[in-house]
Amino acid sequence: MFFALSNLRGLASRLFSRPALLPTTTTTITTRPFTTTLPSMASKPAAKPPSKKAAAGAAKSKASRRVAERDPKIVNMLQHFAALSPRRIPAPLRMGRNRHLRHWTIHRAWLLFRRRARKERERTLMRQQQSMSAACEELRLTEGPGTRDMGYLYRVAMEKKGVYGLHGVPIEYARAQTDTPARVPWNHEWKA
Amino acid sequence: MSRSQQVTRPIVRSLQQGRTAATCQSRSIAARQFSSTTSRKDEATTTEPLKLSGLPISPQWTPEQLARLTSPDLGSRRRRAALATTTHVPFEQMPYLCFQEARKVLNEDRQEKIAQIVVETEKIKRLEAADPSTMRGGEAYKEKRLASLRKHVEELKILADINDPLVKRRFEDGVGDMSKPIYRYLANRKWHAMDQKIIVQRIQQFHIVPDILPKFEPTVDVKMSFRGQPVAPGQFLNSRVTEVAPTLRMQVFDKGERLISVVVMDSDVPDTEFDLFTRRCHYLATNIPWDPTKTHLPLRLVGSPSGKTGGELPVPWLPAFAQKGSPYHRLSIFILEQKAGERLDANKLQELYDGPGRDTFTLKSFRDKFNLTPVGFNLFRTEWDENTADIMEKHAIPGADVEFRHQHFKTLKTPRAAKGWEAKRQKPKYKSLWKYTKRIATL
Repeated sequence: MFFALSNLRGLASRLFSRPALLPTTTTTITTRPFTTTLPSMASKPAAKPPSKKAAAGAAKSKASRRVAERDPKIVNMLQHFAALSPRRIPAPLRMGRNRHLRHWTIHRAWLLFRRRARKERERTLMRQQQSMSAACEELRLTEGPGTRDMGYLYRVAMEKKGVYGLHGVPIEYARAQTDTPARVPWNHEWKA
Repeated sequence: MSRSQQVTRPIVRSLQQGRTAATCQSRSIAARQFSSTTSRKDEATTTEPLKLSGLPISPQWTPEQLARLTSPDLGSRRRRAALATTTHVPFEQMPYLCFQEARKVLNEDRQEKIAQIVVETEKIKRLEAADPSTMRGGEAYKEKRLASLRKHVEELKILADINDPLVKRRFEDGVGDMSKPIYRYLANRKWHAMDQKIIVQRIQQFHIVPDILPKFEPTVDVKMSFRGQPVAPGQFLNSRVTEVAPTLRMQVFDKGERLISVVVMDSDVPDTEFDLFTRRCHYLATNIPWDPTKTHLPLRLVGSPSGKTGGELPVPWLPAFAQKGSPYHRLSIFILEQKAGERLDANKLQELYDGPGRDTFTLKSFRDKFNLTPVGFNLFRTEWDENTADIMEKHAIPGADVEFRHQHFKTLKTPRAAKGWEAKRQKPKYKSLWKYTKRIATL
């Protein structure tokens, strides 16, 4: 999706920067390049989502209107060309050999640094998790208080009563569970 | 413009990486390099003399004049000072802050790895000295543990050196010492990037597996060249070219000295009597000592008393040939590794495979009989061409006058009357349609 947006942006700038290629006389008819079907017999092209440019409307130049009339196939093709254009794909880094080697050295050191940080974090998390697990195990094997049997404390500790509010359930359960949940599970700001 | 600027102008231009005025203006996409590594023009000015590709040089200038132009005595005070103080700074001491910080990080990591190597080596020593009967798994456990520890040490050796820019530079320059594990590792990685894939593809598409061997995975980089010309795997070669044995460029990626055998065999010799294709041994050399530091093996020098390659030659080179009309012949070059410390008996091999034995050679039985492991492979193809007859005559190979033809059989189907729209309109009544009724649908 990220790509599609950027492509469209590139496309628009490309089209605007182009000189008008179509002869002006043909603009009076509905131009459908690459087809022999009469305009009257042709099915109507699918309604385009109103882009910002189109919404700006009649005040716009002829060029923008031509964008709206373009065959979707051509638009599609141009989008792909735009994705391949040097504007989208930056040129490879051009460096002298020594400079490239320095760059490479720094890059490797950075990767190493990141890996160390990651490992450190993983170690900490694992230690914390294990110590928590050990504490729970200890609870599970403990009797009491008073006449309570073994594991009572553990069961009590595992209860989530009141965590989600009084008699509450996790708010995520209020919507259908999906494989691709939204990034924000609940929009608290929304009012009917 | 001041005097000093006038003087330094050509130098400044030359520092603009050889870009001429025209390319500067257009800056076409095609001029972009896709390589991110070395471009000689961009080479550091500190360590090498200046390249003058961008300079408006008149061709009459003598080298002395050019040298004077690029000399460190020329230019601004700042340039002269910089050149005077930094000409011989080694790469790893270049005073770039981030670079030096990065080197510190990498060096720290390297020291860690080396300390680990020491620890692991101690572990190995202790384990070697230990009595296997005290362990729960016994001897098998000890062996397995030792092998795994040794493998870990080898990995650590590679990890200790892989971040060194000087190692990278030396490997890219092709001056890496292949007796060291890091260079072997890098070479192996490079081979696997493309050349190994091509060889594996050739093995698959030319059906080397299962025609010659039931299964085979190459682990040695083998490239060949005939008469000094490198040849791509699977290329068709003129019989004039293949008259003399090729030179192999081989690289093994595991450490240690070993003995190898080289076999060149043709796996497409037509046999009209039994209506099949058989094999023929074109070359067999054995007991060639090989290690990772060696690269070149001229096959024609193996076994010769003056040859430095060593080894013995039970079956000398027979030029590659294909009789007229036979489909192309695949000539495969196999490198087989001998078991450590085992030498093959060249006389026995000669007795088995030279002379009439050439035609009964099969690689699989050779491998099984002498306990060998096929490790390397390359391939070329040959067809009947304008030189084959001469070559066969020169080397007293019979069969140059034979031409193979496909056997044609008459169809056993009974002839049928022509049918269809066209067949119905052959009579003069449809003369006007004759130009449309030429192509009668048969059968």
